[in-house]
Order: sequence, then structure tokens, then C-alpha cells
Amino acid sequence: MKSVRVRVCLGLTVAALLAGCGGVKTTSSGGGAEGNYPTGNIQMSVGASPGGSTDLITRAIAEGLGKELGVSVPVVNKPGANGALNAKELQSAPADGYKIAVQNASLFTITPLAVSAAEAVKIDDFDLIGGVSQDDYMLAAHADSGYKTIADLKKAGKTIKYGTTGVGTGAQLASALTFKVAGIPSTDVPFDGGAPAMTALLGRQVDVATFQLGEGIENVKAGKLVPLAVFSGERIKYLPDVPTAKEQGFDVVVSQYRFLTAPKGTPEEVKSKLFDAAKKTFATDAYKKFNEANFLTPIEVPPSEVQKMLGDSTSKYKGQVEQYGIKLGSA
Amino acid sequence: MDFLNPVLDGFGVVLEPANLLYCLAGVVIGMLIGVLPGLGPAATIAILLPITYGVEPVAAIIMLAGIFYGAQYGGTITSVLLRLPGEASSVVTVFDGYALARQGKAGTALGIAAIGSFIGGTISIIGLSLLAPIVAEVALDFGPPEYAALALLGVLLVATVGRGGKLKSVIAAGIGLLLATVGRDTFTGASRFTFDSLNLADGIDFVPIAMGLFGLGEILYNLEERHTRVQVPAKVANVWPSRSELRQARGAIGRGSVIGFVLGVLPGGGATLSSLVAYAVEKRRAKQPERFGHGAIEGVAAPETANNAAATSSFIPLLTLGIPANATMALMFGALLIQGIPPGPQLVSEHPDLFWGVINSMYVGNVLLLIMSIPLVGVFVKILRIRPAILAPITVLITLLGVYTVNNQVFDIFLVIVFGVVGYLMKKFGFEPGPLVLAFVLGSVLEIAVRQSLLIFEGDVTGFVTRPISGTVLGLLVVVLVLPLVKIVLKRQRRSL
Repeated sequence: MKSVRVRVCLGLTVAALLAGCGGVKTTSSGGGAEGNYPTGNIQMSVGASPGGSTDLITRAIAEGLGKELGVSVPVVNKPGANGALNAKELQSAPADGYKIAVQNASLFTITPLAVSAAEAVKIDDFDLIGGVSQDDYMLAAHADSGYKTIADLKKAGKTIKYGTTGVGTGAQLASALTFKVAGIPSTDVPFDGGAPAMTALLGRQVDVATFQLGEGIENVKAGKLVPLAVFSGERIKYLPDVPTAKEQGFDVVVSQYRFLTAPKGTPEEVKSKLFDAAKKTFATDAYKKFNEANFLTPIEVPPSEVQKMLGDSTSKYKGQVEQYGIKLGSA
Repeated sequence: MDFLNPVLDGFGVVLEPANLLYCLAGVVIGMLIGVLPGLGPAATIAILLPITYGVEPVAAIIMLAGIFYGAQYGGTITSVLLRLPGEASSVVTVFDGYALARQGKAGTALGIAAIGSFIGGTISIIGLSLLAPIVAEVALDFGPPEYAALALLGVLLVATVGRGGKLKSVIAAGIGLLLATVGRDTFTGASRFTFDSLNLADGIDFVPIAMGLFGLGEILYNLEERHTRVQVPAKVANVWPSRSELRQARGAIGRGSVIGFVLGVLPGGGATLSSLVAYAVEKRRAKQPERFGHGAIEGVAAPETANNAAATSSFIPLLTLGIPANATMALMFGALLIQGIPPGPQLVSEHPDLFWGVINSMYVGNVLLLIMSIPLVGVFVKILRIRPAILAPITVLITLLGVYTVNNQVFDIFLVIVFGVVGYLMKKFGFEPGPLVLAFVLGSVLEIAVRQSLLIFEGDVTGFVTRPISGTVLGLLVVVLVLPLVKIVLKRQRRSL
């Protein structure tokens, strides 16, 4: 009887320890001397659940940073509010380079157009470490629909129902803008992420849908979906035959890009050390293969350029949304 | 019989020693994390993902798949022994599983669950091998209107589960529906009941609600009980189900397998719906439905079979359409991409070794899980021999830890405590937490699906009835609602004659 009790208790303790592993706690032994950075673990938080693009990118970078800097780089998922929850936490973390995160451009440039001011986050509250990569959107129709271009949708002469991956996402902004600019009557049907939007498009519950490249490219290759446009500035190497919306005469350039951020006031040496290590990671074959496999386009640019890109897209989106009277959400 | 060749080659792949080892590792890890409330397969796979980079694609996916369906086996254990359902799909198991445990029949419950899980899983794999492409096409006909109809059916079934009175169940379900509205509106981005807290922007997570209402609520209630009467550890007898009990559960396991396989294909809430529907079907068929909620063996067999069958069939959308049906499948999607095998319609033809290797590994995995379950049931049941004074604080600790690991948010720990108090009060006043939790899960599905449908129909409500599948489900719903009324009327007439 007693041995049983001990065994079970032991089992539960092991269980508890295992559970603890889920949220790896870092002992960030910061210290004053930035010259020695890093002396402890660097925690990378992700504002999304495991499995999404941001999560996979963070994990790929974390692995590289760990090797380059010789410390452990645990990844912690802090999903919630499209990443705003994680952003606010990072914002108030000590600016010593022991807590960093890959963040999405849409959180700063598009989501604020859809949600209340209290939930919006500003890029000025962070320090930028450097750019990471770009993840493009495509507009696609079911192969049986016969649509091949955006102009075909206009010719259809009916209200086009379009699926998007949710309120305040690039997919929503890109499609809403396209239909307004092209003067096509349309209804926005938001889904909770890419997978349900894809399901609805494949099942022809909606006429067209906008989602990220990686989510739909296999169904394009299989001939089940026809891409009508991509929303990048120039054609994408993964879909070289698909014209951009701009080429088709509609000034809609929307893409998701990601960059490394740190809390405001992180020392310059720390940031450049991190960016150097990131650049070395980006240069490895493993990381390049990762980008290819996930249909990502590198934008491994210095922080000043990221700042400029963010500023440009924020003002451009804001201007276009106001010009065409688009309401993304209740904001 | 050319089409059989890749299938048989798939067995060749599985039986390679390395792959067998990865399969074993996967199911063992899966079972362990299934026992822990909170830490689910998705989080575990995320942690293990980097390890799989250096592994052969087939072996990697075999292991990750093993973690996923292994976790379904483990999840039952805490539901039955400690009243802690780790996932929405095992909430239903709590009703009769925990009741059986209180009667000293925890072994019976766990044994029947293991057998049901094995059979449900295996039938579902056979279905997956033979019908995957067809089923996937049919699943595409399930648009928002069909989800709306199914979720509505689910919400109505919720009121019939559990042991409390119907009225109390309906009240609890109503509260569950209200809680489901908390969070950022998916359609307008408006904040609902979030009090400007970002922690509530995505709504309340399922885990703190279920852990609080069931687990913590029960512990608090027992604390009070201890003041009024001396508490002894629950009796532990009958470590294995008897022959008559097996016979009793046979039908439930068969029907649960089919229900689980079919509903599991549907992305989002498929597994939860299947366990609920399987339970409701058994209760409706039973000669003495009042046994349900008080330790009916079918009440454990049906949902446990169904949720395992559903776990297996949820691979279908990923492997045939390239669409991840749930959070774990989203990670599998990522794992496959990293391995250079993009999941999509061409996966079967381009990578038959992977497709059939993974599917066939599930047979092996299920056998391994069953073999492991038999001795483990005996071990886990002994947890109940621990004095409540020792077991309760350990359970609370693990619950709080587990809840924290889901989103790594301290906020969720506070939530679980709040819901623990609510759960205690509910139990005290005779309300069942089951209907609340299930309505909460189905409520968000229902709301989103109805609003999407109305957008698709351009506001025309008749669309729900004119589409064949949603129309049929709604018809069924009317029958379910009206039939008891007709019966009552007939009975009255007969009496008056």
C-alpha cells in the first residue's frame, strides 16, 4: 500500500515536471555588461498558437540564434488578440535583449484599422532588430468557376462572395480593396483563419478567397484552385505565371512581413549582435530550405528599412481605406 | 489488385525497426501528455518539432501522429479518475466515467474506454484507408449552413446529457452560450465583454472553464463534504470489465465508431460533436435512460470510442485536401512542409510511402496503446487509493500548472480559480457543469456558422432549409423535438380511453 502511494506520487511529480516543460521558464541573468551579452537564455515569444507561420519562423530562427550565440533560445507561445497580447507583454519586459519576438506587420499596419484603440499596438513602442521574411497573399477561385482574372469577376455581373482569413488581416484588406477599386459588388465572409477559408472555397461555399501562399499553393498545383492575382509589388517566384493585382490595373499591394523586435530601449550593441546572429542563421542552407518550403521571400533588411516599410504601408493602407470608404471592423 | 500494392508497401514501411520505434515513442509520449490536463498534443508536437528535422519524413510524421492519437487514450484517465477533462471531446466521458469511479468501478470504465478507443481507432483507420478521398469530397459539402444545423442539434442534445433536471441543464447551457460570446467579434472586430482586457480578446479558453468547473469545483465541494462526514478513499475493485459489461457496451462501441469516423472528418469541433452525439444516441436507445449519468457503461464506451475514431479521421482533410482540421493538424501541416512534403491533393500519388506508412502505423500504434493500457489501468486506478487530503492538493497543483501551459498566461490560472468557485456553487445547487461546457464549445461554432450562412445567403433565412444536408439535419432536429411531445400526447389519449 505504501509503495503504491509513493509510486503514484512519483508519477505525478514527473508529470508535473513534464507539464512545466511546456512553458520553459528562462533565467534571464541579464547583468549590466552588454559586452558579454548573452550570458543567459534568450526567450523568443510568439503571439500565436504553435503551428502557424510566425511560430515556425520563430522556431527556425531560435534554433540558429542558439547555435550562433551559444545560449539556449526557448520559444514560448503566447497566443491572443492576433498577437497583441504578446506585443504588450514584450513591451513591458526589461530591455536587455533577453526577451525578443518575431512580429507581424499586419498587427501594426492593418489590425488597428479594425479594432478599438485600446487593443491596437504601435510599432513606436518597440525597437526593431531587423527584417525576416515576406509571406504573400493570393486571390483564388475554384477551378470549376471559370474565373481566371479579376476582370472575369467583374464580368460575372453578380455579387461576389469572398472568404477571408479574418477581420483585420491582410487577406481582408487586400480583397476589400480589390473589389472596391475594381468596382465589383461583393460580400465579405470572414473565416477564423486560413484552413476554414480554404475549405469553404474548395466546397464552393464562397466564390473566391484570399489567403497566404503556403495555405493554397498545393491545391493550385493540383488544378483545384485557380489563382486570380497575387498582392505583392512584383511577381512571386513560387507562382511566376500569376500576375499581380497591380499588373491587372488595380493598385492593391498588401503582404504580410515579419521582423525581429525587442522592448524599447534595448542597447544598440545587443541589437546588432542579435541581428548579426540572425543574418548568419539566414545564410545557412537549412534556413534557406525552410524559407523555400514555406513559400517565404527573404527581406533580411536592417531595422531602418523595416521602419520605413512599416511607415509606408501604414499610411498607404490608411489612406486607401479612407479614400474608398472601407470598413474593416468596428474601429 | 494493383491498388493494394501501395497499401502493402505501406506496411513494409511501418515494420522497419526504426519506424516501429518512432511509433512506440509517439504513442508513449502521447499517452503521458494525455494524462496531464492542459498540456495537449499541439503544444507537445510544437516542442518536439525541431527534433524531427533530422529524422526521415515518414518516421517523423509517424511519431507525431502517435502523439496525437495516443493523447486521446490518456485523456480518458483524468476524466474518469479525477473529473478533469483535458479536451472538449472527453467532457462527455466525465458524466458516467466519474460516476463509475465513485462506485469503485474505475477499472471497468478505463478498461471499456481502452477497448472502445482501440476498436473505434481501428475501424476509423480502415475507413480512412478505403474511403479517404470520397469522404473528403463529401466533407467539402459541409459549409457554414451545415455546421450551423449540426451545432444547433448539438446544443439541443446538450440539454439531454448529464444527470441534473432538464430545466437546470437548459439554464447551464444558456450560460455556456453566453460565455461563448466573450471576446473579439470575428465579423466586426468589436470587443464583447472583454472590459478592454487583451486577455479576453480571444474569448475564454476551453481548458480553464472545463478544469475549473469540473476538477476544481469537485475538489472544493469535497472539502465541504469532509466537514460533515468522514471521507474514505474510493473503493477500487473490478479492475477489468466483466463479460456482461463488455456485451452491454458492444453496441455503443460499434455505433460510436461510425459516428466518430463520420463527424471527425469535419474540421472544427468534429471530435466534440461526435462524442456528444454518440452519447445522446446511446441514451436515447437505452431501455432505462435514467441510468445515464449514474454510471452507465455505454455512457463511457460511446464517447470514448467516438472521440478516438474522430481523432483518426481528422487526418483525412489534411492528407487529401491539405487542410488542417484542428490545432494539432496545423502543426502536422508545418512538420510536413519542413520535411519538403507539402500536404495537398497530390500527397497520396506523389508520396504513397508517406501516406500509407503513416496510416498503417496507426494500426500498430493502436495495438501498442491497447497493450500498454491493460497494465496501466491497474496502476492509474490506484491513484484513487490515495487519501483525498494528499490527492486533492496534488491535483490542484497539476491543474493550475496544466492550465498555465496552454497559453503561458497567468491570467488563465485566475480564470480556473474563478470557474472552480462557480463549479462548486453549481454542484451545491444541483447544476451540472457538462451542459455549460459543451454549450460553450458549440456556441461559438453556432454563432460563427449562422452569421457566415446569412452572409452567404444574403440574408435569406430559407437557405438553411433548402440545402439538402442542412435541411436534413434540421428535419432530424424537429423530429427529435417533436417525437417526445407526440409520445406524451399518445400516452394521455390511451390513458383516457
